[in-house]
Amino acid sequence: MNQFIHNTSHAEGTSLVAENISKSFHSGTLVTTVLDGLSLCVEAGELTLISGPSGCGKSTLLSVLSGLQKVDDGRVLALGENLTNMDIRTIERFRLDHTGFVFQGFNLFPALTAQEQVELPLHYLGLPARAVRERAAEALREVDMKGRRHLRPIELSGGEKQRVAIARALAKNPALLFADEPTSALDASNGQIVIDMLHHIARRHRTTVLCVSHDPRLVAHADRVLTMEDGRILSDRRVASASASTTHGNPST
Amino acid sequence: MVALARKTLIYEWRRFLPAVLSVGFAGLLQLLQAALVLGIFGSASVYVTGSGGDLWVGYPGTQSVNEGRAINPDLSTLLLMDPAVRSVERFHWVDGNWHTAKGHSGEVSVFVCGINPEPNGMMFNHVLSQKLRARLGEPDAVVVDRADLAKLNAHVGSLASINGRQVRIVGTTTGLRALGGVNVIASLTTARRLDGDASDAERPTYLIARLKDPQQAPRVAARLSNHNGFGPYQVWTAKAFARRSVLFWLFDTGAGAGVLFMAGIVFLVGAVITSQTLVAAVVGSVREYATLNALGVGVRALRWVVLEQAFWVGALGLLSAGVFGSLLLILARSQNVPVVLNVPISLVCATLIMALAAVSGLAAMRSLRRADPATLLR
Repeated sequence: MNQFIHNTSHAEGTSLVAENISKSFHSGTLVTTVLDGLSLCVEAGELTLISGPSGCGKSTLLSVLSGLQKVDDGRVLALGENLTNMDIRTIERFRLDHTGFVFQGFNLFPALTAQEQVELPLHYLGLPARAVRERAAEALREVDMKGRRHLRPIELSGGEKQRVAIARALAKNPALLFADEPTSALDASNGQIVIDMLHHIARRHRTTVLCVSHDPRLVAHADRVLTMEDGRILSDRRVASASASTTHGNPST
Repeated sequence: MVALARKTLIYEWRRFLPAVLSVGFAGLLQLLQAALVLGIFGSASVYVTGSGGDLWVGYPGTQSVNEGRAINPDLSTLLLMDPAVRSVERFHWVDGNWHTAKGHSGEVSVFVCGINPEPNGMMFNHVLSQKLRARLGEPDAVVVDRADLAKLNAHVGSLASINGRQVRIVGTTTGLRALGGVNVIASLTTARRLDGDASDAERPTYLIARLKDPQQAPRVAARLSNHNGFGPYQVWTAKAFARRSVLFWLFDTGAGAGVLFMAGIVFLVGAVITSQTLVAAVVGSVREYATLNALGVGVRALRWVVLEQAFWVGALGLLSAGVFGSLLLILARSQNVPVVLNVPISLVCATLIMALAAVSGLAAMRSLRRADPATLLR
């Protein structure tokens, strides 16, 4: 197993590595194992989709791979850095520098315009004001929201809000982009637009896009689909390129 | 920088309005209470603050001007012998009962202040016009505060008696209201005549000295203390004696404790309402805060946003308290309500208000704990 991890963690284009990770939640005396000795490599420049039934652990996998939560066992390497040992400040700084998030709820501040929503996290990167404005405008242009950048969330449709949320994540030029059920709150056409955008971002910016969803419409747009069940990876297949299809999944299974 | 705190405050003003109002009302209450306390208890020292003397000499340990006891008149010689002293005059305090000649109003406790009515006299030179001083020289003449006329059941020109001896009101002034009685100003001659205790008639209650250089007052006061052969006496600077009188009324009468207790209650109630409103505002935006945190904006930076909101709430509350407070103080003055507000006390009130906002902000910060980005994943 160690040999496998060694190889994958240094493979060309691998940006996220989970090594035999476990995560349990405690509720009184009840212990629920959500991730059970799982290992995984995620490639840069691809849209990787994690699907599976509710409670299979896919959101928890996303949260530990993105540094939002710590694992109980094993380790997570993101861009070659070990997230497992980082203190909270370091991990916040890592997220600021390298990661973007898109959530099911758009989570936009009601008081801010689309342009300001995108600018807000950029200020914390310490960029000069002009660079912040330009980057935000560019990100909004990329999600086709430039013309509506002066509008507040209340004036935007659900699809438009999600595009602003994507622009907010994208403007940071993140190496890692995490999306949790990004299309669940959207209708078919808006869902289509959003998934196309995520795919486009992966290709154009060589971003690692890791998307959790049980929306079957997304499967056709993903480069790679991981199916989870009971805290383990059940199957791992490539959609666009059949030759790349493997089923290494959880080496312990 | 996107002014998240300020923009949210403006856009969601309805959400923050209760906090601004609670800070504003707390501020208004503190401000008016302070003004009333200063106004009411400040009158305990009106004898000192309304007069031009730099030093006061009285019976040792006197806590408040109205508690004075007779001292040795020879002390004026001691004072005049000091090269720093320009002039000395007597102040004779007499407790009396006022009885109006007409009507059946009963008796009213009055404090007769026997002063030197000469044009260059020091006592009450800030509250008595030269014309009134001159009229005090007339036999049996007294001056009272305009606001006390009704209480005395009298008017200008009417006759009354104090301790059974006749007096005549020759005029009124303002800013002379007393605590627990009515101030009646008379000349030293009239006051001596009104004093029921003949043994005190020639003994002043206080001696007031004007110095050539008022800045030297503390040094001269120290120099003039501890001389033997003049009986018991103590020398205070005017400032120290005024302060002593006010503090005595504030703290030894229990009134100050009541005021402080009220201030504490106002602070507590204001802080509870304000913090609850701010907590609700933070909780209302908790998912947005959590998203920022997921994007790497540190919890510390988010706390600053909450504190900044609290600061703006405090500033707006302070502004409204200032505006309404000023209007109410003007109204109170026009109705002869004793209110006084000075810069240091206003600053203390403003500091308390901002402290209230800061405490509320700190309390609201705790609810940022709920902004855990992991909870956004479902």
